[in-house]
Amino acid sequence: MSALSGRRRWTVGRVAHRLAVAVLVLWLVAPFAWMVVYSVYPSTNLRATPMSFDPGDLTLTEYADLLSDPSFLLPMRNSAVVGAATTVLCMLLGSLAAYSISRFRFRGSQTLLLSMMTVQAIPAIVLAVPLFVLMRDFGLYDTLVGLVLTYAAFILPLVIWMMVSFFDSIPVNLEKAARIDGCGRLGVLRRVVLPLSGPGFAATAIFAFITAWSDFFLAKILTGPDAETLPVRTASFQGLFAMDYTAAATAGVITALPVLALALVAQRWIVQGITEGAVKG
Amino acid sequence: MAVRSGRSAIERGDRRFALLAATPAALTIAALFVYPLGYAVVLSLYELNDKRPAATRVVGLANYLQLLGDEKFLASLARTGVFCLFTVFGGVALAVGLGVLLNQPFRGRLAARVLLLVPWAVPPVVNGIMWKLVFDGSYGVANSVLMTLGIVDHRVQWLAVPDLTMGVLVFAELWKLTPFLTLMVIASLQSIPASMYRAASIDGAGSWQRFWRMTVPNLRGTIMFLLIVQSMWSIKVFDSIYVLTGGSGGPAGATTTVNFLAYLTTFSYLDRGYGAAMSIAIMVLVAVVTAFWVLVLGRRGKEASR
Repeated sequence: MSALSGRRRWTVGRVAHRLAVAVLVLWLVAPFAWMVVYSVYPSTNLRATPMSFDPGDLTLTEYADLLSDPSFLLPMRNSAVVGAATTVLCMLLGSLAAYSISRFRFRGSQTLLLSMMTVQAIPAIVLAVPLFVLMRDFGLYDTLVGLVLTYAAFILPLVIWMMVSFFDSIPVNLEKAARIDGCGRLGVLRRVVLPLSGPGFAATAIFAFITAWSDFFLAKILTGPDAETLPVRTASFQGLFAMDYTAAATAGVITALPVLALALVAQRWIVQGITEGAVKG
Repeated sequence: MAVRSGRSAIERGDRRFALLAATPAALTIAALFVYPLGYAVVLSLYELNDKRPAATRVVGLANYLQLLGDEKFLASLARTGVFCLFTVFGGVALAVGLGVLLNQPFRGRLAARVLLLVPWAVPPVVNGIMWKLVFDGSYGVANSVLMTLGIVDHRVQWLAVPDLTMGVLVFAELWKLTPFLTLMVIASLQSIPASMYRAASIDGAGSWQRFWRMTVPNLRGTIMFLLIVQSMWSIKVFDSIYVLTGGSGGPAGATTTVNFLAYLTTFSYLDRGYGAAMSIAIMVLVAVVTAFWVLVLGRRGKEASR
């Protein structure tokens, strides 16, 4: 009896479930995998009928070409700098503001928190022309500084929203104890609160980085040749009528790989961050 | 007395610290978000076309009135409606289904959930390129597969036929957004106690009944949240349209949703004032749709819990 129930039989329902999971996994992975295939085979192989996947034809020529092309390396460097700087700025200003909202009720703190969510609803297109004019007037058009500041303004609301919910879940008594032991207000934040919100902090920082790295619209409007970012450069590989598929696929893989790797390495934190946000909302 | 004044000194210090700590973030957001927003409102009251700079003048609400009779704008609204219908309802329904699927115990469940992060992490521009490789009319793998299976007998020009292009766009967006929605659904499903399901099946409820009577009502809050955020994202869609259609919103304007039309108006036709009015109309549209979901689902929720 117990042996029978221990090993569950393969019922029709179970088989259907596993099949559905298999289809799902294929759906999640195949499109990206196909782009990788496109980037390592000569296009003639993929355009033949039937397609030829001869391992002897595998080549990294396109990667070598792109990674030695200054007009591709500059956007790569720009994206890395902008992504890192935006994340640092957002986490610094964001944790300070979130801590202040979470711990000290001051006039306007709730309004401030609510406005954070409202900001999410505003489409970037509304701000495109004003931001362009603003950046031009301050000499920040087509500079990394201009882009970092703009991203910070767009990403900060989400960072503050997330950090407030993490801070709210940390008991205040710990901080009181630290204060009695002679820790200053900033010291409490740095030594007690931030270490305790570790996973939440990491998840929020990764959100900030991925958002800044992936943005296309604002970068397209606020940059020229100097501060061009990777998504803008990558998008330029496709034209209306002609497209160099191998180059586009390679640029696509290079653009996606850093954030993809980051997401998969930090998956536990990210899922936890999403989970806590969802349970709260 | 001395104790009281001591405490208030700490309180005063707290307040000063709180304000100081919140100021840099508030200033950044004010300078680069609130100020431009006000600027955009003012801009929308002007006739300002960079092709005819001499004709610049204040026109008040004329731009907004013009929107109401602008066939291109109304057509783009209709397209946005169609796109939202498929991506919002399709995305959320799919997410609930996939969430339930991935909430059953099976070996490799964790790995399957982690893979949900792949589409979420892929930048939208890369998403566009990916699907362009799949749906290219001449060399795309979609045609090769469909022809091998005998489903079609010629190469389909996916990105040259208006309805098909919209279909590809919906498909690409669903790939990108559904996994994230699914993660939210799974998070919410995990908060439903398993004992409830056991009790229900002991009482003789089938899996279909359990789904409709227990899972869906427990997900109500999450579903409302997902409908709201997905509506926001769908109305704002831009990157994948740009990449899939080579920046044209074509073929023949078939994928020019309202957000893309505002972009074209502002940056291709250089009609800054009218473009500003259009983008503010989009903002209002987002607000109205959000309010609609809150009112409709919020009230139903109250009725159900009564």
